[in-house]
Amino acid sequence: MTGSGALVAEQVSYGYLGAGKALDGVSLAVAPGEVVLITGPSGSGKSTLARCLTGLIPHLYHGELQGHCQVDGVSTTDTPLWRLAKRAGFVFQNPGEQLLATSVEEEIIFGLENLGLPPEEIESRLEEALERFGLKEMRHRAPQTLSGGEQQKLALAAIMARHPAALVLDEPLSMLDTTAASALVEHLLGLARDGVTVVLCEHRAEYLEGRPDVRVVPMGAAAPHLAPPSSIPLPASAEGQVVLEVQGLGVTLGDKRVLQGLNLALAGGQVAVIVGRNGVGKTTLLRALCGLQKHEGTVLADGARPELGLVFQNADLQLFNASVRDEILYRMPQPDMALYPWLLQALGLGSYEQVPPLLLSEGEKKRLALATVMMRNPKHGLLLDEPAVGQDAAHKQMLMSILRAVAQSGKVVLVTTHDLSLAVQADRLILLGADGFVADGPPHQVLQNDAAWSAVGLVVPDWVRNPERRAEAEGATVGGGA
Amino acid sequence: MIRLGPARGARAIVLREDSPLRRVDPRVKLALSLGASLAVMLPLERLIAFMALYALFLLWARLMDEVARQVWRLKWILILLFLVDWLIISLDLAVIVTLRLTLLAGTFTVFFATTKPEELRLALEWLRVPHRYAFSVSLAFQSVGLLDDQWRAIREAQQSRGAWSPPEVKRGLRWNDLRAQVSAATLAVRDMVALSVPAIVLAVKHAWAMNEAAYARGFDSPERVPYHRLKMTGLDWLLLTGALATGVILVWVK
Repeated sequence: MTGSGALVAEQVSYGYLGAGKALDGVSLAVAPGEVVLITGPSGSGKSTLARCLTGLIPHLYHGELQGHCQVDGVSTTDTPLWRLAKRAGFVFQNPGEQLLATSVEEEIIFGLENLGLPPEEIESRLEEALERFGLKEMRHRAPQTLSGGEQQKLALAAIMARHPAALVLDEPLSMLDTTAASALVEHLLGLARDGVTVVLCEHRAEYLEGRPDVRVVPMGAAAPHLAPPSSIPLPASAEGQVVLEVQGLGVTLGDKRVLQGLNLALAGGQVAVIVGRNGVGKTTLLRALCGLQKHEGTVLADGARPELGLVFQNADLQLFNASVRDEILYRMPQPDMALYPWLLQALGLGSYEQVPPLLLSEGEKKRLALATVMMRNPKHGLLLDEPAVGQDAAHKQMLMSILRAVAQSGKVVLVTTHDLSLAVQADRLILLGADGFVADGPPHQVLQNDAAWSAVGLVVPDWVRNPERRAEAEGATVGGGA
Repeated sequence: MIRLGPARGARAIVLREDSPLRRVDPRVKLALSLGASLAVMLPLERLIAFMALYALFLLWARLMDEVARQVWRLKWILILLFLVDWLIISLDLAVIVTLRLTLLAGTFTVFFATTKPEELRLALEWLRVPHRYAFSVSLAFQSVGLLDDQWRAIREAQQSRGAWSPPEVKRGLRWNDLRAQVSAATLAVRDMVALSVPAIVLAVKHAWAMNEAAYARGFDSPERVPYHRLKMTGLDWLLLTGALATGVILVWVK
């Protein structure tokens, strides 16, 4: 390792170019070998602080920085980034976007070359990293073909092969299933036991909270409780109670059989959630249900092809208009102007009506994408792909309230997620494994079905089964921000 | 399009591990591809002779199917150019222009179907291109397949919002109805905006994310020492000599 791994931020304020302050007078001192979990609602500045601690701010971002940060007693402002990167590694939120090479081996070698190591030392560190992170069997595979959990493990291996004394991670769990998230947390705690300083910025704090060796640092103000306006009920579905029936659904992508023989009946009035491992086919199932993916079998509502709205995981795919209003009313010749204000109010977008969508935060963009789909009032219901990614507890609760309102209007609501704190709030929890649906029922029943969770390869973290800890996880930031 | 790993459909060039050219030095492949591209300047008879030789080379390299697939993707452009040149100028010119385009598509397919971005980077660095530019070019080359995926994802997302109406909607328009035509054209422009804005936003975000990831691993370090070294083998020299001899024969022998 290089240095001791102490990280310090003193009275740090930062504003991105053309935007307000993302950080305002934040101080933090992390001792060598310590594990610090930084929590806080969306927009509280966790990611910005992580970038300040590792020197990406101010070296790559040229906003207004006040105060100062140190890595191992070295100022992040006065030291070149490549020197800082030797001392403190950074792992980003999206594993797919931080991988730069065409094989697992090359990914690790890239960072080692930059240290100027001789070939023998590179080979030795490469083997050590592959062994330690369980990547030996996949050393020749393209990173893009790995699952989300494997990609995040590779990103960690590529950083740790450089032997930094400190590691900063920005929401590394947000895209991982419970098994991959639990495994990553154990890896991180293992690194800390070996003396590496670990700083995690994470919404899914439940994986680390309550551990004696983890210091929790809350950031930002408590988020207000958000809920849809009860004064304006969502109009009931003209179809009455919708029933969506899926028979023998199968999908093949290239030469890979992704889904096979799925049978499912979804009734309006309920919020149903599908949980499964990364890469099991949850997104493919949603695409097949709304007709975007060729499939075998039938998908019917009222005896015909259903009309379902799909909210994509990545909101950036859907937004392009000049204002939030234009975005919501796009291609709506006769918009329902009673629904429009309901959506603005329910989704917390009322003050952004004339703001260009590209200027919204990631959480706001996700809510806007939901609004655009809801405004189209799809006849049979809504499908949502990983809506909880990057959302804090308050926004997850708000999302569930809105989905309940949609379901109560008689429509089908189906959500895929890795986030069990969202899944347990649903009316129906469905487990999807490699061979099809493994369990289906009310969340409290499915949670007790150990055999089913084992069959789909997912672990159920203790906090999910513990009602008190679950309540904390579901509402931690609502009332508990700093 | 370049794709690393399994390709979806026939849109991407797949890295062909089974080709003997996979193990050839990237500098040699770059030289062969550039040399073959220069053959477009040959007169028709010699160009046909060169293409016959090139076809034999593709068979040896087990790349004929890959090249055929990529040329097939250009079929409409090739047919259109052939017809325009034939009708407006001459059959000779139509044949030669079509052959030239086919050859160019083939030569680049051969290079990209057998070369990893890291190998391209090494070849560029050997040509004294600074590391940061060579790295950027190789990363761009690697990201084309991802952009292709993103483009399709955006189109799907827009379709789910009513953009890119299916053709039957527009087929109903009467072409003598000016207002309908203007309206259809306006919608088409908005659809293009709907596709382009997210594409630009996502491409910029992706590029920035990779930039951060590279810097977080010391990309700008002056201490960098490359792990891989290029080394010419007997096959490399043989291919270079063969290519040189072919060039000399085709250009100078009467």
